[in-house]
Amino acid sequence: MKKAFVRALGIAAAVGLGVALTGCGGSSGTTGTVSGDGEYDGPKVDITFWHGWTGGAAPTLVPKLIEKFNSEHDNIVVKNVPQEWGDIAAKMPLAIKAGKGPDVAVLHGDDLATYAAQKLLLNADDIVKGLGYSADDFPPGVYEAGDYKGTQYAIPWSVTPLGLFVNKEVLSQAGITDIPTDQESYTAALEALKGVGIQGEWVDGYVFTGTFEFESLLWQFGGDLYNEDVTEATFNSDAGVQALTWMTDLIKDGYSPANVAQDGNIKALLAGQTAFNWNGVWQTTNSAFADLDWAAAPVPQIGTEKAVWSSSTHWVFPANKGQDKNKTAAAATFVKWMNDNSAGWAETGELPAANDVRNDPTLVQNYPNLQPFMDELEYAHYETVSPGIAEANALITTAINEALNGKKTPQEALDDAAKKADQILKQNQAKYGG
Amino acid sequence: MAEIVTTPAVAPQRENAGESGGTPANRARGGRRRTLIAYLFLAPFLILFLTFVVAPAVFGLWISVTDYSPFSDVQNFVGLQNYIALFDPNSTFSGDFWQSMGATAIFVILSVPCLVLIPLGIALLLNRKIRAAATFRTVFFAPYVLGVAVIGVIWGYILDTQSGILNHLLGLIGLPDEIPWTVNVPWVWVTLVGVTVWWTMGLNTVIFLAGLKGINGDLYEAAALDGAGPWRSFTSVTIPGLRPVMLFITTTTVLASANMFGQSYLLTAGGPGNTTRTAIMYIADQGLSQNNMAPAAAMSYILFAFLAVISFVNFRFQRERVERTVA
Repeated sequence: MKKAFVRALGIAAAVGLGVALTGCGGSSGTTGTVSGDGEYDGPKVDITFWHGWTGGAAPTLVPKLIEKFNSEHDNIVVKNVPQEWGDIAAKMPLAIKAGKGPDVAVLHGDDLATYAAQKLLLNADDIVKGLGYSADDFPPGVYEAGDYKGTQYAIPWSVTPLGLFVNKEVLSQAGITDIPTDQESYTAALEALKGVGIQGEWVDGYVFTGTFEFESLLWQFGGDLYNEDVTEATFNSDAGVQALTWMTDLIKDGYSPANVAQDGNIKALLAGQTAFNWNGVWQTTNSAFADLDWAAAPVPQIGTEKAVWSSSTHWVFPANKGQDKNKTAAAATFVKWMNDNSAGWAETGELPAANDVRNDPTLVQNYPNLQPFMDELEYAHYETVSPGIAEANALITTAINEALNGKKTPQEALDDAAKKADQILKQNQAKYGG
Repeated sequence: MAEIVTTPAVAPQRENAGESGGTPANRARGGRRRTLIAYLFLAPFLILFLTFVVAPAVFGLWISVTDYSPFSDVQNFVGLQNYIALFDPNSTFSGDFWQSMGATAIFVILSVPCLVLIPLGIALLLNRKIRAAATFRTVFFAPYVLGVAVIGVIWGYILDTQSGILNHLLGLIGLPDEIPWTVNVPWVWVTLVGVTVWWTMGLNTVIFLAGLKGINGDLYEAAALDGAGPWRSFTSVTIPGLRPVMLFITTTTVLASANMFGQSYLLTAGGPGNTTRTAIMYIADQGLSQNNMAPAAAMSYILFAFLAVISFVNFRFQRERVERTVA
């Protein structure tokens, strides 16, 4: 009881704090427009930068970039504030309302609408214009993810599509050298692997990466997660059922073991127990691959069209209470500089979003494993833009989990999830003011 | 015998020695001063308690009767609507909430007996005069100092369906080696209870051990003289002697189990489906991730009410027995 109590109180305390802060805060200073022409010539300012890059190569890379930026700009000092993504989600909304948020931050694509709906982000239309960005500067669909109700709130920074990771040594045991690209060749490879006693693709019922695989397949079969204005779940369409059935069939046909645990499939790929794993581009920097004869490829086309899931990260300008326009202008300069100098970002296993940086041939020369992921970008789908969508998305994972565990048929699982998701979407409209 | 006689005689002497003066007025002043000093020492905790427990509790209660939303600047009083919604089968929350309460109940019922009986058994063994008792005590207590994140990672590796060490070992001795420990029912429950017992039994063991040390050895001697065997002296001396400790342990264990979060969050991700999503997991998700703070606050007060009732019943039930034993 004591602990429950304390936890409940913890939540309550956080909320209480929020109430107190918003009480004084009101909702002023949310619409200030800022111009940034790529250079900032105002008075000297310190700006704070919040982001969640706490793992991999980022903790050494980000400070290096910031140091370089600071040394090149006399009138701007960027303060680096890395913290866990979860902490950012918990703290940033309240901090912004209290006027203590960062001057610039990085968010994931599926969070943008939730923040924008809460009026926590500055309208970035003028900043974007000032910096000279347009949708054409980024892969299709990424720039649009920063658009909420006709206003641009974000500038793309990186994209992270799913791909097919192949253990070539295992694959060669079945006498196959060519990496499959479509349903026919993929099934043939799985069948050949089964013939030599190897289960070729282990399918799991967790966000990483069963959900990403399902969503890729759903789009490949011509479906979509939600309808156009995100008022209704459509992942239980025929396409969705086809996608999920294809996944459960992997188990039924003996191409995958049942009951794969979280991350069990990537472990199996690394351990040489399986040949294929649908996983994110971030795995290309996984040091466990170093001793492996492996390759990455675009995900095979199982359905009727090419499609693949991708996530994205974006720069945003928080609408702090009493936000200093000079600081936002300086932040815009920082964003432009970072995007222009983002070639090294590939080191972290993310693709720089800026086309001119990503398409520079030296990038692929330095990081050849990224090529297949870059090839996928023209048909990649990004996360749904709608406030509070994460709660509805969580239901998709539950459905996949239930179907793969044999608790429900794909149709049942998706129907149940869609019914619940419709309720959530309706609730979100009320909650975030539709 | 001599010891028992002298003990009460010594205690008042000590008390007298502590007193500075002899007149009643002096004694009263000394008493007041002592009370003041006691409060002074208690003050830091009291301030923390008021700031971080009482004040937020009142805030939480207030939130649970409003339509609190982080997006609106005004909160409206909505009465018990958030609570009523939890009992309305058509609301978004009720189904999931009660399912998570059910999962919590299953975990409590499965884990509490294990977390009481196993530590009791270990404490009895450690209480004997065995060699390296301190080492064993450390061994049993050691996992308790680990954080839940560490537990999650370690057991995630051990219990992996296909590449876990446990299934591999089971396979070597000819048992089924494809047991979905963290993926499918009923194994997820075995895992969650097993891991929790492994992790936290050390604490209960140490408390039981302290309780056992507190039982007067003469009672065992007397029981043995009256012809009691090991079992009889266990039921007639050890168990009655442990009752106050037992009350404490069952109460705290029920509460700890009802608050299980990290194990299922990390090991099973609440799966399969939402089978092992506990109440705390659901409340935290709704309140902190989905911005449904008002309903989440209501949920946490319902959970609180349940636990308060269980603790109260437990207290009454066991206290009566303590009193009866003493009488």
